[in-house]
Amino acid sequence: MSKEKKMKRCPVSLQPDVESMLDWNSLTAADFEPATQDEKEDFIPERASVSYWKDAWRRLKQNVVAMVALGVIIFLFLFAFVGPFLIPYGYDQFNSGAENLYPFHYSLEDQIRVEEEIAARTESEVMDVDAMIAKAQEEAAANGEELSAKDIAIIRAQARASSNSAAAEDAETDPAAIRKELGIKAKLFGYSRDELERKAAGEHVFPHIFGTDMYGRDILVRVMYGARVSMAVGIFAALLVLVIGAVYGSISGYFGGKVDAVMQRIVEIIYSVPEMLVVLLIATALKPILTEYVNSGSGPLKSFVNTLGPNLISLFIAFGMLYWVTMSRIIRGQVLQLKQQEYVTAAKALGASGGRIIRRHLLPNCIGQIVVTTCLQIPSAIFLESFLSYLGVGVSAPLPSLGSMATDALSGMYTYTYRLIIPAIVLSVMILAFNLFGDGLRDALDPKLKK
Amino acid sequence: MAKYFAKRIGMAIVTIFLVTCLTFLLMNAVPGSPWLSEKTPSEATIAALNAKYGLDKPVIVQLGMYLKNLLRGDFGVSLKMQRNREVLSIILEMFPVSAKVGAIALVWAVLVGVPLGCLAAFKRGKLTDSILRVICTLGISTPSFVVASILLVTLAGGIASLKIFPTIFDASAGWRSYVLPCFALGFYPMCYTARQTRSAMLDSLNQEYIKTARAKGLKNGKIIFKHALRNALIPVITYLGPQVAFTLCGGFVVESVFSIPGLGRYFVQSIQNRDYPVIMGTTIFLASFIILMNVVVDLLYKLADPRINLTKGGE
Repeated sequence: MSKEKKMKRCPVSLQPDVESMLDWNSLTAADFEPATQDEKEDFIPERASVSYWKDAWRRLKQNVVAMVALGVIIFLFLFAFVGPFLIPYGYDQFNSGAENLYPFHYSLEDQIRVEEEIAARTESEVMDVDAMIAKAQEEAAANGEELSAKDIAIIRAQARASSNSAAAEDAETDPAAIRKELGIKAKLFGYSRDELERKAAGEHVFPHIFGTDMYGRDILVRVMYGARVSMAVGIFAALLVLVIGAVYGSISGYFGGKVDAVMQRIVEIIYSVPEMLVVLLIATALKPILTEYVNSGSGPLKSFVNTLGPNLISLFIAFGMLYWVTMSRIIRGQVLQLKQQEYVTAAKALGASGGRIIRRHLLPNCIGQIVVTTCLQIPSAIFLESFLSYLGVGVSAPLPSLGSMATDALSGMYTYTYRLIIPAIVLSVMILAFNLFGDGLRDALDPKLKK
Repeated sequence: MAKYFAKRIGMAIVTIFLVTCLTFLLMNAVPGSPWLSEKTPSEATIAALNAKYGLDKPVIVQLGMYLKNLLRGDFGVSLKMQRNREVLSIILEMFPVSAKVGAIALVWAVLVGVPLGCLAAFKRGKLTDSILRVICTLGISTPSFVVASILLVTLAGGIASLKIFPTIFDASAGWRSYVLPCFALGFYPMCYTARQTRSAMLDSLNQEYIKTARAKGLKNGKIIFKHALRNALIPVITYLGPQVAFTLCGGFVVESVFSIPGLGRYFVQSIQNRDYPVIMGTTIFLASFIILMNVVVDLLYKLADPRINLTKGGE
């Protein structure tokens, strides 16, 4: 590339400048040396390639609302599936003596103070509790025995019962008013009197954090199981809808023509069926049918039906029959677009079967839509389950459901408001979290939608 | 258009027919009979009752008989809840109650929901928008029985000083009875409408003709209500179709909570009582009503926006 070889160009020449290209012919052997490590590293792109999911996750992370919703979902998940192991009560365990507990309690001393006050006011002839105990201890000592803590508790309970009955007769000795006068404040968590005494004796007693219901069942555990049922129903129903909708929608979209026309007529019919009505009908009608089926003998399928409970199964059947329509429409729309793509033509040219093209090429390419629709299906399934349970055709007793807990609470609604409010709030928060997370996921997976 | 209309009506009839058959078969598959109650009648009585109401014939024959009667407008008579009373007359007595509550609920839902949606779209990204979004998402996440229960424990006696409204519905007691049920029934549609309106408004606010309107110097109010809203209302109408029917004929739950003597509550009770003719009649009535509303909305839809071509599937 000597300078003298280069001809002087006319500044206004229209000829292409070929001088520099001629230099390519004068490469030396040194130009063909293998690249050194440094040079190679220079070529590696600065930014790592970002996969679809990583990209979506990055966008999702920036969405504060969706991340909070995800946190709530994870918390509820742990609450529902791990929580029951941490609490020593069962969902159908009747804790006798601990019926109708509020989610708060008064300490033992305060309770005694209130009782003494009542006793003093009523001027009843109920003996002083301590005097009774002392007397009983004397008697016991005379017989050569020692009075156990339990006996003392019994005496106290008797004394209390008699003072209570006295108090009931007199409106002036309203415990609530006396508590207010004495300035006694409630403490968190529910304990029965018996449990407080055991606790005072040094025994470890687990509190009824949300109180108990009319049978003494711990509400916290029941809410946990109810949340578990709701979540399980939501997720399984969504998966069911996903499978049916994906298969139906992709077949309808891919094969087109008459197949599509017939399949879409069916979809239209199901679409215009009033869902709630039919679901209610199916749930009611199938329950006795399945119950009879289970009772008619035994077998693997029957025991399966029995473990899940006829109600849950009829719920799934109703869901499987009606709710896949939206999913199938969305997937059909996607498939209709995608099947025009070159890679589908290429796969066809290579002799791939229809099923393989759908499975390997079409469905993976509409995964974003599928995930979002499935995720938004979960809250609607939870919604439906609670609705049915509320009307008494959902999950069967004794298994609790948030909906049926709310119905049970309606009778004592004003006195025991917390029994209604707690399941209602858990349910709403759960549906809200799934909805918000689904919305966030849609924005993250499909940035085109977010304008 | 005429062809589409005919096709749509045809589909509606097929759907009603299928729902009728499905309901009939499901009802017949249920073990147990309507005669089983506190005191079981003797077998001879049961046989006589079955013969009287045609329950002794094969299911297919019963279905055929039922369909034939249905075409004549005969829904049969109640077997249990109001023995021997015509189902049609029960429906006609209950439906207006449901319809009144439902109509009020829906009217307030739309009258509040649409402006809220417009406001949110217009204030997009601002605090107002965020607050409305949270409220509306909360609204579509709260089952109506939760809304109803919360209303009951706050405004109907739970808090003594706030006992403004009665717990039990009584049509003769005036407007106070309607407030809580209508609020509970309309809350979900209101939030849903607001969300729909918001996203549709955002779409149409991005259109060129809005820019033109702005360039002309039109006022915000005029741009929103005259230009943007008209186009944004179309998806809202789509949603409202099925919702009108559903709300009108029964928030099953809301009617149960407030003891409203409407069709929704009666339907739930008839299911629990296995009163087959009532279940059948109510289902067919409600289903036909909902399906009919869908058809009407589709046609309105077409009238509202001539650009929509319904014959070619709206993908």
